[in-house]
Amino acid sequence: MATLVQYLQYLLNGITLGSIYALIALGYTMVYGILKFINFAHGDILMVGAYTGLLTYTALLGDSTNPVWMLTAFFIAMLVSMAFCAALGMFIERVAYKPLRSANRLAPLLSAIGVSFILSNGAAWIFGAQSRRFPYPFDDTPIVIAGLSITPHQILTIVVSVVMMVVLTLFVNRTRMGKAMRATSLDQSTSELMGIDVNRIISMTFAIGSALAAVGGILCSFDFRVYASMGTMTGLKAFVAAVIGGIGNIQGAMIGGLLLGVLESIGAPLLGIPSALRDTIAFAALIIILLVRPEGILGKNEREKV
Amino acid sequence: MKKTIALLLVLVLAAAGLFAGGAGESTGADSSTYVIGFIGPLTGDNANYGIRCSNAARLAIDEINAAGGVDGKQLQLIAENSLGTVDGAIAAYEKLVYSDNVCAIIGPVFTSPALAVAQRCYEDGIAMITPSATHRDVTSVGDYVYRTVPSDSLQAEVAAHYFYEVLGYRNIACLYAMNDYSQGLAEGVEEIFTELGGTVSAMETCMVGDRDFRTQLGAIRSTDAEAIYIPNYTVEDAQILEQAYQLGMDLPFLSSDGFSDPEIYNLAPDFTDGVIYVGPAQAEASTTLSDFQAAYSAAYNGDQPDSFATNAYDALYILAAAIDRAGSADREAINTEIKATTDFSGANGIINFAANGDMIASQGVYEVEGTTPVYVGSFQVVDGSIVQVD
Repeated sequence: MATLVQYLQYLLNGITLGSIYALIALGYTMVYGILKFINFAHGDILMVGAYTGLLTYTALLGDSTNPVWMLTAFFIAMLVSMAFCAALGMFIERVAYKPLRSANRLAPLLSAIGVSFILSNGAAWIFGAQSRRFPYPFDDTPIVIAGLSITPHQILTIVVSVVMMVVLTLFVNRTRMGKAMRATSLDQSTSELMGIDVNRIISMTFAIGSALAAVGGILCSFDFRVYASMGTMTGLKAFVAAVIGGIGNIQGAMIGGLLLGVLESIGAPLLGIPSALRDTIAFAALIIILLVRPEGILGKNEREKV
Repeated sequence: MKKTIALLLVLVLAAAGLFAGGAGESTGADSSTYVIGFIGPLTGDNANYGIRCSNAARLAIDEINAAGGVDGKQLQLIAENSLGTVDGAIAAYEKLVYSDNVCAIIGPVFTSPALAVAQRCYEDGIAMITPSATHRDVTSVGDYVYRTVPSDSLQAEVAAHYFYEVLGYRNIACLYAMNDYSQGLAEGVEEIFTELGGTVSAMETCMVGDRDFRTQLGAIRSTDAEAIYIPNYTVEDAQILEQAYQLGMDLPFLSSDGFSDPEIYNLAPDFTDGVIYVGPAQAEASTTLSDFQAAYSAAYNGDQPDSFATNAYDALYILAAAIDRAGSADREAINTEIKATTDFSGANGIINFAANGDMIASQGVYEVEGTTPVYVGSFQVVDGSIVQVD
């Protein structure tokens, strides 16, 4: 019995971790869907999002300990951070990627790696090397039910992630803008002939992906703290989640993220392997998934277009 | 045109390189200064340790220079960033020893880089004093390695005896990072605790840089452990304490000298209460320590030195005294004089070196109340059982 509770606990922790990966994976997958390009600076956007959120939140809060204002300030900080990262994402696209759009495929990739270094080293220079706490905007006393423990910030993480994913799905499937995005991802030049402003759609995609990364960055800083290189590993894992789910597919990114989080959390105890190898197990499992389905769980096996 | 500019750039760079190289050699040969190297992480996750140690060393140098220097010559510190990695430390070492021509080295700060640099010091015949690398193997690399921090084997011995004999635990669990420092301590405690008749019911591991320890803590919860030993650096320990609380665990935590870095109280201020850790023994009836802490705080905007910084401060004074006795920047002579150090009186009390370069010392035990470590006392293991020294 104790072990069942234990495994439910692992599962719960995995879902929390996974929903953060999923949010970040969406940015990779949306950009890939439209431009067939991996934005390696995406992980560092989440770091910028976390710092922006942290600075805005502490500035808004001041010395206040009013619980309502704390939560309000937190959500305002999240919106500010989303807006800032959306603008930053569009700016980076305009400056570092757009001029290379017709260049060899490796050029924008290298440009993205360059942007990644600029952002993380810049943050280390501005904010210093030490990691910072993101203060909880509420009392984070864990709630224990039958030996299973969940904290308010875990609930917040899961709820915010689900809301974001639902909103994104509705946006992509139900709005004109979403329709234009889907059309652009199917065929850029035809979409352009149909009167869709492709440049605007691409900007929009970067804005949305970066805003989601900002949310992911803020949510993961409760558990991971805020530091300049925080985007590297989390970003890499989210990228893997996007590939597993089937890169370019929005639902795939969500599934991939959750799967990776759960595998990471539950893999080592399930197999009785030292926990230091948790990432190794998670990634080994992912290799197996890719061997069976190279296109990812929900990816389409695209034929070469003529 | 572009080619001309490129060529010009290359020439300028080459000239700058020559100039820098020349400047480096001339500092070493310059008879008016003694150049000392420092190697430690000045950026990255664990930069707090390196920055505090280099600050303390620089403070000692400023004090010595203000008092007239050594033999009327000024000391100069060149601090190089190891990034906390072996590669970074070796690159820093090569710059200091071959280009800056330093006469001895303070550092490296972490165990893994220290093991690598110790080997090079032995090959090149230059002395190094580390303020913080505690792995027992560090001083067994050659004849040029000293430390002003007690070796892990000493710390692990006192820790295991204290947990078993004084605290009365019979069953503990360990959660440690896979680096030389944490693994050395955890395995040392496991060995001695088991010899004493206790049980170590879980040896859980994590990678350096991991942020999520819920799986390991969950596994420990399903054992009968009465306490958890976490001999890690502050970044990991802060997360472990907080996540244990979030999982609703109320087992007491035990830790090591890594916990003496006050950074832990910035990272996890709500979860440090009750942690007991084994760290450096405090010197009795000496004002050197409080003087040092006050001077450090005044020099660095109110920042407080950790125990490693205190060790770095002592290391610098030991080195300065050795240079004074050697009377020259000769690396071999300085090494001989460091080895001859007897009853050096520093911020950590009286320091002597054993034949292998280890510091001879007792260990301090601390219990954290809120966010303030309270000194329980100094302990030594004598004839297989623990004795309180003061």
